Amino acid sequence: MDLAYYPGCSLYQSAMLYNHQTRLIFARLGLHLHEIDDWSCCGATSAGKINDFMAIALPARNLGIAENSGFSELVIPCAACYSRTVVAQKQLQDFPLLKNEINQELSQKVKDNIRVSSTLDVLQREMGGGRLAAIDLEKLEGFRPACYYGCMHTRFPYDVPVADNVENPRAMEEVLKAIGIKAVDWNYKTLCCGASSVIYNTECALDLMAKIMRDALARDANCLVVTCPMCQMNMESQQEKFCTKHNIKERLPVYFITELIGMAFGFSKKDLQPEDDMFTTGMDWTQLCGDSV
Amino acid sequence: MGSKPFEYTPQAADVFTREVMARSGQNIVACYQCKRCASGCPVAEETDMVTPNRLVRMVVLGDIESALTNKLTWKCLFCHTCGTRCPNNIKTGRIADTLKKMALDAGIDPQQPEYKNFHRAFFNYSLRWGRINEIGMMGEFQLRNMWDHLRRGNFVAIISEVASKSTLAWEMFKQKRLHLSFHSSKGRDEISRLYKKSAGRKWI
Repeated sequence: MDLAYYPGCSLYQSAMLYNHQTRLIFARLGLHLHEIDDWSCCGATSAGKINDFMAIALPARNLGIAENSGFSELVIPCAACYSRTVVAQKQLQDFPLLKNEINQELSQKVKDNIRVSSTLDVLQREMGGGRLAAIDLEKLEGFRPACYYGCMHTRFPYDVPVADNVENPRAMEEVLKAIGIKAVDWNYKTLCCGASSVIYNTECALDLMAKIMRDALARDANCLVVTCPMCQMNMESQQEKFCTKHNIKERLPVYFITELIGMAFGFSKKDLQPEDDMFTTGMDWTQLCGDSV
Repeated sequence: MGSKPFEYTPQAADVFTREVMARSGQNIVACYQCKRCASGCPVAEETDMVTPNRLVRMVVLGDIESALTNKLTWKCLFCHTCGTRCPNNIKTGRIADTLKKMALDAGIDPQQPEYKNFHRAFFNYSLRWGRINEIGMMGEFQLRNMWDHLRRGNFVAIISEVASKSTLAWEMFKQKRLHLSFHSSKGRDEISRLYKKSAGRKWI
């Protein structure tokens, strides 16, 4: 099965690992990802803070490129890019005049014939079917993950259809169940981590992250699993800071969901986190899973 | 909250409410103050009791000063918990966002000085190169902050800025999250044509 793929800027930079792992496990599942040509930044939240027109026009360009490349589905791993693109797609449907205006400037016009999915949507759909049966799964022992969805999986700044439960999403739990991991049940699945406000409103963001961490620990989780590069970066790189501020002694590794799936598919640590490149999650997950992988 | 007591005038309230409604795309007058948004707001503890429902009330009453300068408008994280809980589907996050834009248009300084610089740096970088390079974008953000400090003659702030951000960069480097590669998109002319088209638009 062939899918168009929009990685987004952060997957080429701070979340390189997510890009690498997504490609790896999709290939194993027999899903071929084709990166779209010359994609550009979706504007993330920042475009909408300054210029509402560009907040739609920037993702529209990528949509046009993906639609004209002949694929029926566009996969976006980054939660922010996914949110922006889905919202832009719906707004272009709802405002045809705006769509015409944007199309005038685009070399590859938006036709509105592509389905936009997040990595999690695809994994949830494909891992339920026969694709998983063809793979020898390794038994992963000792993982008690708390699945942290953040804002962008279920809440959008515009009315778009949401597949999952808004208050209590289950997609990650279902995917993990398929590979034999039981996730803990907890409260702050969808609490905001502060996102980019960690830069300009640091204390507020640190308090929110500590809340998330506390509840995960109270439910006896031993790692966090995320799909959003921003959540992953915040929860991991700020962990020392917010734990010190709030007197939390324990530390938790923060995995992309692709990492746990990769381990279950039998990829080695070296496959999942190539050492020669400049990326590792910075935390040693072998402590958790012992020598089994 | 304002410096002088707020006086309600129907006409001013009408004009202000209509502008906020047009720019945010939200049907503000449908709010019946049920406060479901208030109980879900993650920053409500830090906003001097200004909850999303009260923000809506400020707008509808035309209390422009309070609407543009209260803490919720500036602390709102755009997480949309309020929007998903509202029985009338009012996304108050987008109202707060609109009020921020209106405050900046009116020349009011943001309560977090770095807010404006961060989003401006991100947005400009994405227009200029088509893709974000984190080091370059953060560099532009730094320069904007420095310029602000310099204009105010605040040299102490410049030193602490350099110190705090170089610590951040070092932390990121240690975690192997700092990347020196450069990415850009060839379709930049398309993007700049679109940007020219957006000039002067207050809403979509």
